[in-house]
Order: sequence, then C-alpha cells, then structure tokens
Amino acid sequence: MSFLVLDSVGRRFGALRALSDISLSVESGELRAIIGPNGAGKTTLFNLISGFFPPTEGNITFEGAPITAVNPTELVHRGIIRTFQITEIFLSLTVYENLRIAVETAMGLNLRPWISRAQRAAVAERIAELAAIVRIESKLHRVAGELSHGDQRVVEIGIVLAKSPKLLLLDEPTAGMGDEETRHMTDLIRRLNKEQHITMLFVEHDMAIVFGIADRITVLDNGKMLAEGNAAEIAANPRVQSAYLGDAGLGNAA
Amino acid sequence: MGLILLFNAFNGLIQGAFYALMALGLALILGLNNTINFAQGAFMALAAYFAFTLVPYTGFWGALIAAPLLAGVIGFAVETVLVRRLYSRKDPIYTLLLTFGLALIIQDMIRTIWGAQGKPLAIPGFLNHPLSNTYFFLTGYRLFVVAVALIGTGALFAVLRFTRIGIRIRAGNADLETISALGVNIYLLRTANFIIGIVFAGVAGILAAGQLGLNPTMGDALIMPAFVAIVVGGVGSLVGSLLGGLIIGLASGITTAFFPAASEVVIYVIMGIMLVVRPRGLLGQEGLFE
Amino acid sequence: MTMEIASARTAVAKPPAPGLISRRVLGNVALGLVLLAVPFWLPLVGGYTDLASRVLIYALAAMGLNLLLGFTGGLSFGHAAYFGLGAYGVGLMLKYETHSILLALLVGTLVGGIAATLLGPIAVRRRGIYFAMITIAIGQMFYFLAVRWNSLTGGEDGLTGFSRHPIKLPGLTVPMGSVGFFYLVLVCFGACALLLWTVLNSPLGHTFVGIRENYKRLIFLGVRTKRYLAISFAISGFVVALAGGLNALLDNFTSPNTLNYTLSGDFLIIAVLGGMRNFWGPLAGAVIFILVRDYVSSITDNWMTVIGLIFVLSVLFFPLGILGFFNRKSAS
Repeated sequence: MSFLVLDSVGRRFGALRALSDISLSVESGELRAIIGPNGAGKTTLFNLISGFFPPTEGNITFEGAPITAVNPTELVHRGIIRTFQITEIFLSLTVYENLRIAVETAMGLNLRPWISRAQRAAVAERIAELAAIVRIESKLHRVAGELSHGDQRVVEIGIVLAKSPKLLLLDEPTAGMGDEETRHMTDLIRRLNKEQHITMLFVEHDMAIVFGIADRITVLDNGKMLAEGNAAEIAANPRVQSAYLGDAGLGNAA
Repeated sequence: MGLILLFNAFNGLIQGAFYALMALGLALILGLNNTINFAQGAFMALAAYFAFTLVPYTGFWGALIAAPLLAGVIGFAVETVLVRRLYSRKDPIYTLLLTFGLALIIQDMIRTIWGAQGKPLAIPGFLNHPLSNTYFFLTGYRLFVVAVALIGTGALFAVLRFTRIGIRIRAGNADLETISALGVNIYLLRTANFIIGIVFAGVAGILAAGQLGLNPTMGDALIMPAFVAIVVGGVGSLVGSLLGGLIIGLASGITTAFFPAASEVVIYVIMGIMLVVRPRGLLGQEGLFE
Repeated sequence: MTMEIASARTAVAKPPAPGLISRRVLGNVALGLVLLAVPFWLPLVGGYTDLASRVLIYALAAMGLNLLLGFTGGLSFGHAAYFGLGAYGVGLMLKYETHSILLALLVGTLVGGIAATLLGPIAVRRRGIYFAMITIAIGQMFYFLAVRWNSLTGGEDGLTGFSRHPIKLPGLTVPMGSVGFFYLVLVCFGACALLLWTVLNSPLGHTFVGIRENYKRLIFLGVRTKRYLAISFAISGFVVALAGGLNALLDNFTSPNTLNYTLSGDFLIIAVLGGMRNFWGPLAGAVIFILVRDYVSSITDNWMTVIGLIFVLSVLFFPLGILGFFNRKSAS
C-alpha cells in the first residue's frame, strides 16, 4: 500500500477544468518534485491534497485511508501539512513567538489559559530544537516581518515542522530567493527528508534543484499528467521537452 | 383580520422598499469601497433636510432630484478628502470609526442648522389621498414610494449592466487588482461608486421624510435594518441585498399584525436563523475559510 | 506594514529584561499607586471621584473588548449589548431581589457574559467587516428588546428605583459613597486586568494573537480558529458585562442607551485612541475620551461634533493610538 495515492483526481471550477485524471502514488520517505509550466495545475494539486478544496472527481487516500473530502484541520491532525506560495507566518511577532504558537499547538495546549513551569520549559526546549533544525537561532528575537523573504520561508518551515508532519507539501519553497538563500533552503529540504524522514512533495521551477534533490518527478501540463519518473527519465522525455519549449528552455522554465 | 394582515403586509413591503434602497447604497459602498458606511443614515437625513429647504423654490419634484445630488456632492468631498486615505489600511476598523464619527458630525450639523425638532416634508396633495374607500390604507404616496424604489433599483441595475462605468464597478467588485492592472483608474471608480451609494441614500431619505417627517436621527432607524438586509441577502450580492430588504420589511410588517412589540426584534431573529442555517446569506458567495 | 510591526512589539512579551525588576513591573506598580491614590490627588487638580470611577469603568469595558479587538482581531461593534445586559442585570437584581451589590454584580456579569458566550459562536461564522455587521445587529436586538419590554425595563425612560447599599462583610461594613465605590471599581478593574494579563501570556492568549496575525496559517496548523474566536468573544463579554454593572451602580440608573451601538463605538474609539495593540491602551484612551467629553459637554451644545472629530482625527493621525505613537517614537 502506497503512502499517498491519487486515483483519477480532477477539479473543475465552473466550466474551467483546472486538473483532470491525475493518478499518482508517493512512497513513504520519498522526495517528490511537481513541475510544469505556469497554469499547469501544480498549486491546485496541492490544494486538493491539503484539503483547501475537495476534488470534483476521483479519490485520494493517505496511509490507506480515504481523505478525499476531509477538511484541512483534520488533515493536519493526520499529518499532512503545507506551506503556501505566499509565506503564511505571523508577521508582527518575533520568530520565537511564531514558533511558540506552533509548538504550543502541536503540544495541544491551545485551550490553556495558564501554563505550568514544566510545560513552559518543554515548549522552550522544542522551540530551540526547531530553530536549530531550520538554522534560525541567531534571529529568534527579531520580528518576523522585518526578516528577509528567504528567512521568512525558513520560519514557515519551522512552524510546520512543529507539528511533526508525515507528509509535507512545499509550494515553491525557493521562489524569489537569492543564491545563498536558495542553497540554504535546498539543503534544508534534503536534510528534512533524509534526517527527519519526512515524505515531501514540492512544487519548484528551478530545474537545477529539482534534478539535484528529487527522488522522482511528476510533470503536469495544462491540468494533465505529462510524465513521471526519475531525473534522467524526465530529462530525456521528448514530451516534457516540447512542453517546456515555449518557455526559455529547461533550465529557466519559470 | 384578513384585511389587517394585508394592510400590514403591504406596509411591511413599503418599509422593505426603504430598507432595500438603503441596503443597495450600503452594499455598493461595501463592495467597491470596502467600507461599512456608518454615515449612510446621516447622509439620508441630510438629503431630506436639503429637500425640506429646496421645496419652496423647486417644488417637491425638483427637490427629489436635486437634494440627493447635493448630498452626493458632500459625499464626493467626504470620499476624496477622508475615506480615500484609508483604503490602504487593511483593518476595516478605521473606515468604520471614521464614518461613525462623520455620522455624529453630520447629525450635529443638522441639529444646529435646522433644529432638533421634527418637521414635516410637504408632499404634493394628490399623493396624499387614499386611492379607494375600501382599501383606505392604499394612499397614492405609498404606491409612489414603491414606484420610485422600483425605478431607482431598475436604473441602478441598468447602469451596472449596460454602461462602461457600471461594468467596471461590477468587475472591480469581483477583482479590483485585475481591473487596476488593466488601466482602469480605480480611485475615480471608487469615488463615483461612493457618490452613487450616497445618492441612493438621499432618495430613500426624502421618501422616508415624506411619510414620517424629518428629524436629525431619522437615518438611525433605517441603517440597522439595512445591515441586516445585507447579511440576510448575502454579502457581495446586490440582488441579495434587495431581496433581504424586502424580506425583513415583510416579516416586520406581518409581525406587527400579531405581536407589535416584536416588530423590530423579528428582523434580528431572521438574521440569526439565516446565520445558523446558511452563513453566506441568500445569494452571497462562499468565502474560503471564513 | 511597519506600522503593524511597531505596534505589535508592545503587545507581546519580550525576552526577560536584564536586572532584578523589569521596567514593565516598575511601570505597573507605579500605575497601581497612582490609581490607588486617586481620591486624594484628583480633587486637588479640579476633578471629582465619580469622574475617575467613570474613566475606570469605560477603561474596563474597552479592555475587555480589546481582548477580542486588539489581540484576537475580531472587530465587534456590538459589545455595548453585553455592557447593557450587565447594567440591567444589576439594576433589576437590586430593584427586586437583593440589597447586596456584590450579588447583583455577580448576576449582571453572568447575564451579559452568558449572552456573549451563546451569541459569539453565531457571530464568528463570518470574518472581518461582516463579523462587525453581525455583532452590531445582534447588539441592536437587545436594544429594541429593552425599548419595547416596558414592564420590565422601563422602556426608553430607563430603569430607576435602585441604589447602592453599603457592602456588608463579616465584621466590616464598607460605605458606598463616591470614594468607597471608586475602590470597588478599582478592585474589579485590577482583578480583570490581572485575568486578561494572565490569559494573554498563556497558550490560549498566544492562540488569540495568532488568529489576529494569520488565521489561515492557524487553520493549516490544525487549529479550529472559530472556537477560539468564540472563547475570546465570551471572555471579553464577561468583562464588559461587569463594567456595565458597575456603570449602573455609578448612576443608580440604566437606559437602553447603554445597549446601543453608539456606546459600542465609544468603546472602540477608546481602544483605538489609546492603542489597541497595547495592554494599557484602553485605559489611556478612556482617560482622554471621558475627560474631553466631560469638559466639552459642559461648554458647548455641539459636543457631538467634537466627539465626531475625535473619531475622525484619531483614525487619520493616530492609527496606533497614543501609546502606540509614543512607543514607536521611543523605538526609533
């Protein structure tokens, strides 16, 4: 039984078909890239898996259980967590406070109108741990809104990590980043996959990253599956090449 | 009993026409200007007082046209000098408090200029007579109110559907960023929209004054039901606001027949039921994660 | 953007400051002493004790509202309803049931607070502007109830026929003259401030602030945001209801105006004027608002225009409120 299975999934918005007949399966521990030209339906796919809206056709199963029409809050509890194309963090709070909300949520403390000394210490310890994993320790007491775009994305990943996801969906994690930030993010994604054993799907435009770290690659075009395979297979696939020809070639497909 | 019920239902519908006119103006401004215009009731009173002053010179009909336009001019000033500065602030509290303060100022001005005492607004004599002896409640003025409400609403929808500015207003309601990117001057569009909303309030104010007379706080009694009409009809839908206004007017009228003391409370009960059963209202769009 | 950042800094607990006693603790102690001494210094500067009670009562209401408004991001324009319910609860209890103002206050607070607890879940079904419209409409329902239910509430003339009796404790009778009552208000204010402070520094309070900041992120962390909005709504409802009960005791009177949305507007502008992201903002706002209104209404009939101008000018020029404004200055 595969970890995540999509069976002939499609989504319509009125007359518009955003996605149709998507069937794919992701194994536990896999690092899967989703690529495709703009408007191919990558973000729509993420929205379906994360419960942002339900598919109009087909079924999705996660760890063998159907999750087709399950709401996002419940999906989070089952271990599916996502980031967004536009970074969604708590902008006017410090990084520490950002992580604290996530950690307290993960520890199920939200309803507590007070907190014991021991719990406070446990929260602080977990925050330090997360900050170390995503390497944001030096900026813990800076206000998140004042950080660089790249650092904000890192904070967002720290936030979602607090919930110990089984399946992490990253929507364009390196978009708009400089070289150094991109390297840091790429390294982080790889470490989370290898060291924390988190299964990941990520949408990415930078082919160097995709071919560099992804175990397998799914190519979408015009709302349909175009191809699937490892880096070598995708690079050699003539249909993929022609889909990208309209853009400036493979290396610069954004 | 049947006649009384009919009377109250009809009365309620007329009341509903007021609510609908108010709600339409509010909903327009809520949509494109992203502002709950608390001063809508004050503008309504202002137009009615303008009409009161104009009637001796222009007659009722002239005042019915000119006074709302005058209120529109004040609305133009308010939008360009004050409201516009707040569009960039995401938190809706600022426009809410601004227009709330404006309402206080306008009411106080009216009190200072025209006095706190209620005044009658003279309407043409022929509108005052009952149309028949059996249906004594059917005065010409009541029919006239319904007619004006119909014409006004019809004109609004025609403008929105067929004129360039109307089409842009509707497009702006759907997606302001996109039409801005297409080169439409959204500042101008929002100003125009605000003025149209105020003119609507003005017409409603004069009609109400013809029936109930003038006083500085006359708008207060209509603005709350207009809010309820928008919530019941569905936020983001002008037709919904119209329907919402008629429904709560009718409900309030019918309740008057059985349990007069509850005639105001009933509209809030309807709203509460709607929120529980169908939070987006009759014709409202579903917001993601509201 | 910079505006929000600057304002939020003051709203959140920073890492503990170096030194034995932080500046924050010192400031709070100083504030407490100033308030405790009000009956002694206020007459010297030409004030009267009842005015100070009024300031504290409005500050308490605005602080309660601000838990929802400034810290949870819920723009309620209908909290006067819970204020008024508290006021009518106290008035009716004293008129018909008891001479104990403490028991009356308890009942009034429960009446208003429970109403908020029951109605909050309906209001939080929508967000933003629509939440504001719904809260105001729910509030007006109570206003019309009070106006129409003449036999119980006295209708538009308001509810009279009750008064403050001394508080009888075992071995001690506290007179409820102006000064005695001021200290009752101060005790209530202090207790609620402590309660709100504790909540804001707990995981529950952190969740509230998270909802204000980014409810989408919280939903995708698995938090049922509506539930927490409703909790914040309820807590603020209890605090506001207590303030309303105290207000009825101060006046020995209450009327439908204590339920009306115009009073909700006053509470909102007090919070905004003082600084809604600041814990003590509503207190600062109440001092300014009540003093200005008291003074202006004594010198001109057009005081409504002045109040309206306060709304307009503070929205245009002090969006962060007075405290937020000074905090930003000292930060830069």
